[in-house]
Amino acid sequence: MEGLAIRASRPSIICSLPGLDGGSQRLPLSDGFLRLPTSSYAADKPKLVAKSASLHPISAVNVSAQASLTANFPALSETNVKEERINGDKNKPENIVWHESSICRCDRQQLLQQKGCVIWITGLSGSGKSTVACALSKALFERGKLTYTLDGDNVRHGLNRDLTFKAEDRTENIRRIGEVAKLFADVGVICIASLISPYRRDRDECRSLLPEGDFVEVFMDVPLSVCESRDPKGLYKLARAGKIKGFTGIDDPYEAPLNCEVVLKHTGDDDSCSPRQMAEHIISYLQNKGYLEG
Amino acid sequence: MSTNIFWQESPIGKTERQKLLNQKGCVVWITGLSGSGKSTLACSLSRELYTRGKLSYILDGDNLRHGLNKDLGFKAEDRVENIRRVGEVAKLFADAGLICIASLISPYRKDRDACREMMQGSSFIEVYMNMSLQLCEARDPKGLYKLARAGKIKGFTGIDDPYESPLNCEIELKEKEGECPSPVAMAEEVIAYLEDKGFLQNQ
Repeated sequence: MEGLAIRASRPSIICSLPGLDGGSQRLPLSDGFLRLPTSSYAADKPKLVAKSASLHPISAVNVSAQASLTANFPALSETNVKEERINGDKNKPENIVWHESSICRCDRQQLLQQKGCVIWITGLSGSGKSTVACALSKALFERGKLTYTLDGDNVRHGLNRDLTFKAEDRTENIRRIGEVAKLFADVGVICIASLISPYRRDRDECRSLLPEGDFVEVFMDVPLSVCESRDPKGLYKLARAGKIKGFTGIDDPYEAPLNCEVVLKHTGDDDSCSPRQMAEHIISYLQNKGYLEG
Repeated sequence: MSTNIFWQESPIGKTERQKLLNQKGCVVWITGLSGSGKSTLACSLSRELYTRGKLSYILDGDNLRHGLNKDLGFKAEDRVENIRRVGEVAKLFADAGLICIASLISPYRKDRDACREMMQGSSFIEVYMNMSLQLCEARDPKGLYKLARAGKIKGFTGIDDPYESPLNCEIELKEKEGECPSPVAMAEEVIAYLEDKGFLQNQ
């Protein structure tokens, strides 16, 4: 049975800077965030102002999903709880089943002024995935956008600590990360997943978990020779010496995406492919697709 | 040579995210018998937080058992793994700055305590829905008690599997003079706790 939904027409957005929110009284909606105080966090880049809702108080709009509620149901409280009486005896607590309508994805998008999605950065070890993930999360933060990065560090030692590197565990590793990324996207977070994820089938499975458009695959198109010459973790050296088996790019394949949303191609020219520039390239894509607004 | 350049960027962390959201990430872990009102409270809490401009998300059986935990059944080790994974995801959400509301029976003290341990700090808030078995069974919102009494479900918590109540939870919600408090009243109690402990601001 549909519950009644009381949904704000538009959240009021008030900067969280001290002195600007008029104190700590409860507001109809959101003393939430808009954009950052730039002094502490921005680099020497020009400050970008996130698009903001105009600052007017919201009025809760009672959106009734059911015009046919009978007179037996009590008037709704303003927090949208409907008391359904079963067996007609309102004094018996066990006869009351509370129905709540929950906060949905679009409510959170309104609050955050962004749309959740998954930025899946794939490529060889040393191709720059973590570097771009970092630059991207920073650039989005400067625009007042909430991101979260899932990578080997926060996942292999936590959620996926029971998994090894054998083939079926690698698939399960990617699957679980895909499911968690999907949850983050549902929250409204721009979730950046930064993993080699060498098999096309596994990446495509993750893509299929999400609504069309919400999976943004970013391919770090960097030649093996460049990755190997960087070798930031010394793994290529170990792999070449035979001390690591099944290392992607050396004795295990990397299957490049066939139809990804963004390709970041290594050109050898530092001026045109700094991590910040690559991040901005992804941000342009997100902007064009409407992910940076509510 | 471009290959010799190591780019330095200081990463965005929990502190920055909390500042952006004007709240502190934490896990509100709601535990109790089937029918005790966990989901109802989770929903009400999430809505009350939203009206205060706070970002929360509910993790429960529905969004997990069909997704992340779809490979798990109901045998003992799978139940433990179910709770473990929920705990790990909740930890990630708290790190992201969210108020993560986990709503699961989670009947074994050891498993809940392991999740608390995982959080490493004071951001695990255990909420015990201390409603009598009699009340929960009378509600039986999913018809499961009836099936369990008829022997059609085995190992059902409260009937033929134990529920180990928390010994030191942060919040206990119970019937008052035979009346169950309204979901809004219970949500307000949780919110008062969160406010008091500073989770609803970033100072």
